[in-house]
Amino acid sequence: MKKRFLLVVALALVAAMLVACATESTSVLDKIQKAKKVSVGTSADYPPYEYLDDAGNKTGFDIELMEEIAKRMGVELEWVDMPFDSLVAAVAGGKLDMSISCFNYDEERDKTVDFSEAYYTTEDAFVVSGAFTGTITEPEDAANYKVGVQSGTVQDGWLTDNLVTPGLLPEANLSRYERVDQAALDLANGRIEVLMGDYVPVQALVAQNPDLQIVYRGVLSTGPINIVLPDGDVELKTEVDRIIKELQAEGFIDALAVKYFSE
Amino acid sequence: MDFGQFISYIAQGTVLTIGVTLIALPSGLLIGTLLALLYVYGGKAASRIMNLYSTIFRGIPPVVLLFILFFAVSKGINLSAFWAGSLSLGVVSSAYQMEIVRGALLSVSGDQLMAARAVGLSRLHAIRYVVLPQAVRLAIPPWSNEAAIVIKDSSLVYALGVPEILRRAQLIGASSQKYLLAYLSAAVIYFLLVLLTTRLLNHLENKLAIPSNP
Amino acid sequence: MPNPILTIKNLTKTYGENVIFQHLDLTVNEGDTIVIIGPSGTGKSTLLRCVNLLTRPNDGQIWLDDLEITAKGTNEDQVRQHIGMVFQNFLLFNHLTALGNVKLGLTKVKHMSDEAATVKAMRELTRVGLADRADHYPGQLSGGQQQRVGIARALAMDPRIMLFDEPTSALDPELIGEVLEVMRQLSLDGMTMLVVTHEMGFAREVADRIVFMEKGYIVEEGSPDEMFNHPKFPRTREFLWKITELYGKKEKEAE
Repeated sequence: MKKRFLLVVALALVAAMLVACATESTSVLDKIQKAKKVSVGTSADYPPYEYLDDAGNKTGFDIELMEEIAKRMGVELEWVDMPFDSLVAAVAGGKLDMSISCFNYDEERDKTVDFSEAYYTTEDAFVVSGAFTGTITEPEDAANYKVGVQSGTVQDGWLTDNLVTPGLLPEANLSRYERVDQAALDLANGRIEVLMGDYVPVQALVAQNPDLQIVYRGVLSTGPINIVLPDGDVELKTEVDRIIKELQAEGFIDALAVKYFSE
Repeated sequence: MDFGQFISYIAQGTVLTIGVTLIALPSGLLIGTLLALLYVYGGKAASRIMNLYSTIFRGIPPVVLLFILFFAVSKGINLSAFWAGSLSLGVVSSAYQMEIVRGALLSVSGDQLMAARAVGLSRLHAIRYVVLPQAVRLAIPPWSNEAAIVIKDSSLVYALGVPEILRRAQLIGASSQKYLLAYLSAAVIYFLLVLLTTRLLNHLENKLAIPSNP
Repeated sequence: MPNPILTIKNLTKTYGENVIFQHLDLTVNEGDTIVIIGPSGTGKSTLLRCVNLLTRPNDGQIWLDDLEITAKGTNEDQVRQHIGMVFQNFLLFNHLTALGNVKLGLTKVKHMSDEAATVKAMRELTRVGLADRADHYPGQLSGGQQQRVGIARALAMDPRIMLFDEPTSALDPELIGEVLEVMRQLSLDGMTMLVVTHEMGFAREVADRIVFMEKGYIVEEGSPDEMFNHPKFPRTREFLWKITELYGKKEKEAE
């Protein structure tokens, strides 16, 4: 009697494990389509890519793009807000279906997540305040000054790999910030002398603060921006890429760029 | 965005801030009290384990525990950001509250316990009817301090994406470039929450105070 | 026929290297008031705490009536219900009123109803003269009043024997009298009492027997007349002489 009971329990456990494994290998796309909902992470503190409008609603280039993508997937969009640093881990950990937050491709990130096709291309920029007396003609010139950057961004990676590690820029002179607007504040009050960031949001900051100016612009660490997707999920990536190509062909993305990036 | 909308956007986070606090603080109290009783009355082995618990959870920055619980632990059990955050803060608070209750229990002189036993009360009853009622009164002032800390620490759940007061201030501040206003607003709201709480606890302390002649 | 309530045989208590007392024999008969005197630190308090099992002796036996309470497996909580103790520092429960203090044992240990407990508690408080202070908290009572509540609290349990551990040593001189008076009346009412005290007047007038302890031994015991007027040992005479001098002066001043 006891033996049979144990056998039943063992079989049930095995069955449960098989079911669990089976569910594991299903694409997130299936889950999204079943639930008729996609949960997308973003950090809405990065105008004009993602920020809050006057009513406190999310708006911006990335936001509108994602809303259109969700529409074409035929599902409802659920925004999940998180600090930028946490977004990749959240997608990797299955807490989010995907994330759009002005992500550049990055080898480190690629280890735990996947990237969609690029939906736009950006540039880097170096910004200084009016009090700046130095010169930056080449990007490496920034090593002579106190530099600030948003933590976890590709600019952060570029500065670390190209200036700090070779010993050109002392570690102590590189300040990392949780958000780019914090870095801009410190730039304005002189705690840092140079800010390296993505051209578009930095442009927006400069437009708001006439004391700041862009002294260098070019593609160093940035370039294409992508949507962050769960690792190894071929079906989801295929679907998202398909929609991105569609939108590019229709001129939808260009129109968004005009709307949000005009200087 | 006018001033009213601005403040209102941030203030809406208050509901979540209160929610996190109302989970973290009472769960911390329950666990902390049980552990404190074990610590003081449970014998040498128990007190060693409790000491370890206290050292660990008071030695880790709360936000680290939040991340561990949210990203690592919940690979198995699916915890929302709100619950991962609230429970983490509850565990951290329980370590501090254990020390508070332990201190209060020890402050009630051991003689009180002895007198209770002399009347014939069992150890359990002596603790429950003689030591604990006195310890509660001693615990309120430091507990009021802990309550204020938890209210403020609740802001840490921003790191998991819970749209409470601080996170909302960050977003609206960055989006509108009005940082000072955003953070000042957040500060004022936290201040009011803490003020209200400490006033309430002060009132409770007075109500429970044992009368004596000065 | 003397009926022993408390029998102590060959009792020894050590604390690490120190011998507190050893090979003590003592018998307290029903209705007796036994007063233990002697220099401080000679184990008198420890002896009382062994009697109600707050401390365990290292060797020897104690009987309460016919029950050997030092035996293994004794229900200590049960035994303590039948032994009342009054402490030098009163040790009232600070969070309860005088009435609450006296009632606690009745409701939680004897499982009396709240009404019955209140009636009994008030009776004991009346007995010690504090019925009108029933709703006062210890912090609102004088030392002498607190100690009397302590006595009422112990009496409420209807103990077989009352233990008094230097009950007036922590009191201001003016307040000693009211407590000693309660104790004297208790003795007259026939309560079996074991009292550790420095109050020689009380010892001389109320005790049935006086026990002189020093350095962990019982040096001598006898009736008050024997001990004060013809003690057998010079040490006894010396101690009583010194103490009487000291306290005799105090009594004269109090008058």
